[in-house]
Amino acid sequence: MSDLLRAPAETKYAEELDWLESIDDSPKPFSWRLSPKMVRLFVLGSERADGLDREVSQKWFGDRSFVERSIVTLASDRGLLLIGDPGTGKSWLAELLSAAISRNSTLVVQGTAGTTEDHIKYSWNVSMVIAKGQSRESMIPSPIMTAMEAGAIGRFEELTRSTSDVQDALISILSEKYISVPELQSGGEAGGDNIVFAKPGFSVIATANSRDRGVNDLSSALKRRFNFVRIPVMTNKKSEAEIVRFRTEELLRRHAIDLDVPPTLLDVLLQSFADLRASAAAAGSDDEKLESALSTAEQIGVLEDAVLHSNFFGESALTARTLASSLVGSLARRDPEDLTIFNKYLHGVVEPRSKQEGGSWPEFLDGGRDAIATLS
Amino acid sequence: MSGPHETPFATLRGQLHEAAAAFADGPDALEGLLLGMVDDVDRAVREPLEIFPVCHHSPSSALAMARRLREKRPKVVYLELCEDMAPLLTELRNCRLPVAVQAFAGDIDGFPAEWAPLSVVAPITEASAEYQAIAYALDTPGVELVLVDRSSDHVFQWDGRYGERSPQAGADAEEAPGAAAGPPKTEAGLHGEAVGLEIGDLRPRFAELEEHLLRHGKVRHWSEWWHQYVEVPLGDSDHATYRQVMFLIGSLFRRLAPGDGDRVRVDEDRERYMWTRMREHLASSGADPADCLYVCGAFHAASRVAEFGVAGSGSFAVPPRTATTWQHGLIPSSHTAIEAQFGLASGSVSIAATQWAKNLKRTRVQPYRLAGQEGEKKPKATKAVAPAVAAVEAAGSDRLSGFLRQPPVLDGLDEAELLSWSVEIVRAARRNGYAASTADAIAVFETSILLAGVRDRAKPTPYDFQDAAVTCIEKDVVPGRRDVGRLVEIMMGGDRTGRVGYEALPPLARDVHDRLAPLELKLHQRGVRRALLDLASRPDLYACSDVLWILRRLMPPGAARPIMGERRLGERSVQESWDLSLGTHQRALIELGYEGVSIEQVLEQRLRRAAYDAQATTATVLATVEDSALYLRGRRLTDELGDRALHVLAAERSVDGAPEVLRRVRGLLAYYRTGEPGPPPWIGAFVKTGYAHYCTLLPAAFTDEDATVGQVAAMLGFLFSMESLALSLGCNRAQLELAVAQSRPTTPEKRALLWAAQVQLGTLSRTELRERCGELLDDPLVLPAYPRYLSGFVHALEPVPGLADVVVEAVSNAFGRLPDPVLLPWLPTLISTLRSSAAELAPLLIREAGRVFPGRLAELDAWVPPWREAPAADTRPGGRGAGGAALLFAHPGTLDAVAELLGCDGSWTTPAVGSASGALPARHPDAAAAWEALLAVQPKGSTAPAR
Repeated sequence: MSDLLRAPAETKYAEELDWLESIDDSPKPFSWRLSPKMVRLFVLGSERADGLDREVSQKWFGDRSFVERSIVTLASDRGLLLIGDPGTGKSWLAELLSAAISRNSTLVVQGTAGTTEDHIKYSWNVSMVIAKGQSRESMIPSPIMTAMEAGAIGRFEELTRSTSDVQDALISILSEKYISVPELQSGGEAGGDNIVFAKPGFSVIATANSRDRGVNDLSSALKRRFNFVRIPVMTNKKSEAEIVRFRTEELLRRHAIDLDVPPTLLDVLLQSFADLRASAAAAGSDDEKLESALSTAEQIGVLEDAVLHSNFFGESALTARTLASSLVGSLARRDPEDLTIFNKYLHGVVEPRSKQEGGSWPEFLDGGRDAIATLS
Repeated sequence: MSGPHETPFATLRGQLHEAAAAFADGPDALEGLLLGMVDDVDRAVREPLEIFPVCHHSPSSALAMARRLREKRPKVVYLELCEDMAPLLTELRNCRLPVAVQAFAGDIDGFPAEWAPLSVVAPITEASAEYQAIAYALDTPGVELVLVDRSSDHVFQWDGRYGERSPQAGADAEEAPGAAAGPPKTEAGLHGEAVGLEIGDLRPRFAELEEHLLRHGKVRHWSEWWHQYVEVPLGDSDHATYRQVMFLIGSLFRRLAPGDGDRVRVDEDRERYMWTRMREHLASSGADPADCLYVCGAFHAASRVAEFGVAGSGSFAVPPRTATTWQHGLIPSSHTAIEAQFGLASGSVSIAATQWAKNLKRTRVQPYRLAGQEGEKKPKATKAVAPAVAAVEAAGSDRLSGFLRQPPVLDGLDEAELLSWSVEIVRAARRNGYAASTADAIAVFETSILLAGVRDRAKPTPYDFQDAAVTCIEKDVVPGRRDVGRLVEIMMGGDRTGRVGYEALPPLARDVHDRLAPLELKLHQRGVRRALLDLASRPDLYACSDVLWILRRLMPPGAARPIMGERRLGERSVQESWDLSLGTHQRALIELGYEGVSIEQVLEQRLRRAAYDAQATTATVLATVEDSALYLRGRRLTDELGDRALHVLAAERSVDGAPEVLRRVRGLLAYYRTGEPGPPPWIGAFVKTGYAHYCTLLPAAFTDEDATVGQVAAMLGFLFSMESLALSLGCNRAQLELAVAQSRPTTPEKRALLWAAQVQLGTLSRTELRERCGELLDDPLVLPAYPRYLSGFVHALEPVPGLADVVVEAVSNAFGRLPDPVLLPWLPTLISTLRSSAAELAPLLIREAGRVFPGRLAELDAWVPPWREAPAADTRPGGRGAGGAALLFAHPGTLDAVAELLGCDGSWTTPAVGSASGALPARHPDAAAAWEALLAVQPKGSTAPAR
């Protein structure tokens, strides 16, 4: 294991990727390191029927067709835009794909309100410009430009958070596949160095949050250059349990924590999220539902919080009480509204259930009550 | 097991034996399974009566069937379809497919009553093997078609779970993700609640196996799996291979996943049934088994029941049917309805139809079609008949080994077809509001090929194409707009909805179409048609209007919807306009046809059934009377139902329906008084019985906690408003007076109601009533209950509308004198009571209040409420004294004559001086003086004014 807090996918799964590359004999598009089928295998994991010597673990959970459509888009002429609610695993999928395809998932531009065109194209090292004048050496390429030069996958996180003029800088990159640098001299017939051309294999994976789509909606010119893959919130309980278990194990390993997560508590967590989602779906206005999107990532966050809390402050064992206080603590973000919803949920749903089913529910109920009392 | 190794499958057996040994460490269940499958195939192949295994909605089954029929030309075709549906099949030629053959039983005998109505449908599409068999058998002289499956009656007899089961579509939809997606479509409900039957149901019977197959096949749903792993490889294989492969699949599913015990039992019983029927037919007709063809699902071909085969044992006794009468007909069906009913992925039946058309073109096989079949254009006469398929080898030769060993046969990429799809979808997307361009067409084309590559297919399937189109074109989700997935489905042939032709309709439906012909609308087509009926200028359209109103009463909402025009008792519209969608609701119309030969007859039956139902109440029977008077002209049924209402009323012991009864009787009385020569005898008897009935029940209702104040008010309303008619028919008012006197209400509302009734009867004066109200307000102990008294008074407006001024006064006093802690909590109750239970009384109250209160703000200061202004002028009970009798004294002639007629001999007494009656003329003498002058001019005895 590396000494990084969080290693990028290509480092984390370096050995697996090497092995897959060594056995991959299918045709590969452009400069891809793996063939599309192997990329799919890397992301979705192997099965016995694949006839491989070793098992490849599943890294992203969701419908197979989303992954296939994403891979195929990257092999085509268009960029890939992953859209979904927060916490549906868009960025994780983007990271896995770029790690598998170009072994580099770190060419990332983070879209914010403060992102400028320089972040997408290039900027200048001012002191070098003063010393040597404008040249390729004094230019600082953006991650996207680096990806173009390397024929790799560039990533653009939260595309819709950046302003429209910044977004539009992507249009020419995606259609012409080059960036011109007007500050540099054109070099006659040889082409000069005032144009940076993309090498084969370059593509862009952007992610956009479906809740923010209204902030800076994409222009139709940019839309045309992207294929959209919409990733829904996971509602399949079985797969969700698998994700939560998988991510929790990873987390425990990372923190070197020796703590047991009882399966019954996992069920309690999944069930409470399912209940809260159902109530959010039935809510009439925003005030009647939690501000949180209640995604799988939030679930992992709640569990992580509970695990860390029990490890460092508790009795080194995860209890339903801790889980409840983590749930309330992580998800109650607005003072009267969210707490009211939790109060209603605890008394309307959890209380009858703890009377009927018993198990961990009564303790969960107590913990939730205490947490609300503390917060309000 | 028949395990002699001299069969053609010996090599295969050997290989499977080795495989079993290799994978499962020795002979065990796996070997039994694998070899058992070969045994099943062997057995089916050797059967002298040729078995033709099919799978539903499989174009390759249909193609193989068409080929085989042309080649073999069997003389008898046995088909796995309910035997009672046989007579209908020839009507298929009058329909546009897909349609469903339906067996329907409204009145059931022998099944639990709550199962009714029972309905079974067997949808038939053109791209199916069964249609090929039917078309061949019906249109080829000398060929007999024999349906051998259990009758519709047995479907329910054998399925004991019918009562508690959930609809099959719902259960299966979860397993098929494609089918569950998308909003429910109207076409999906074309089959209604019917139980669906399919020829050749071939699908793993337990979810795990299906999930496993889908996962390893890297496909999303069952239809896609079948397409990729059976349909395409089977492609153009010869008859022997086709048969053996289908037998093998049937056997695989049967051995590996037989499903739950009940279902297996039913399946086996059906197999016994079918073989028994076939043997019976062979024996009676003397047909040679070699000239026959048995068409059944591949699942049944792998049967292991003892009755299997021409030489099977004949021990199965066909159970008798129940006494239920079954009606049969054809109803329209659609691809969507079939998908929904059988849990298939959305679009799969349409894709199968497209595939069928393509296969026909490619292989140039000539399909069978019933002569005169409606729908598609006539196939052009092709010169070349089907290319001769290699002469069939000995049916028993082993074709499986080769098939199982060969690499998957991949269809070559049909670039032109994919290109045309890509262009087509972009155009369709643009038409539906997507910003799609030629660049998207290129992207879709490219992405489809790439996707197929990732999924190990040489050629993109329609499903790959659908994914590619969604990826490249769909960027926004706009509610109400068709999504790209759906557009692809439409493009691939789309949903096709069948239509039952006029000749194949039941008499009732034909009659309806004939009678609506003057409207000159194409009512057999789907969609909404607007009909405009100007009845004033074209009185002949009255007949159409009658039909439409009855259809509105009988058919589901939406089939016939009036936009303008009403039909109520005693009213007829001069103009009407209707939205008609009889084509869309063809099934409902056809099912009406099972109930009778004309809509009038059906309506009559339904009304009669409702009226004679054991649960019928007076109110419901009166509703049928009203319907009968509205829709069916004749008095016969109306009178009969009226008599029934009388009968039900006499036996009724509750007053629950009193408000409804009052409303309906009033309506009917008004109708008969105005429009008809005279009220029918039953209504007089009804009023008479009702008067006595409600008088009897009144005291109990006043004390009964379950009887609401509204119900008691309605009883009183009946008694007071029908009083004159009842008395004229011989009722006695003393009965009512006694009933009121016996009433001892316990709640304030009913007490107020009782007081109102006493005022109406004259046993309580209005002044006394006012005083009582005042006392209530003065007594602090009773004060909190005052609002409840008011509620009673409001209800009392129903029987005693003349009390409106007292009620206004009481309400005003409440506002003026009730303390806030009592008044404020009560206000919402007052408003909700007025709105819900006294909606029709509120206008009366408001009108009275408008009369009493000043109209302008300025007048308010000087305004004194009338009840304060005039202190009790009339202290004696109202209506008893000689008040207002001055006129009578002046002109005693009329009264004398009446008294003489009644045999009453009394004498006139002088009224007391200064009586209350004189107060009004004394204050306002003008009117009285004018009257006096007028009467003085009139000749004595004349009552008409001289004008």
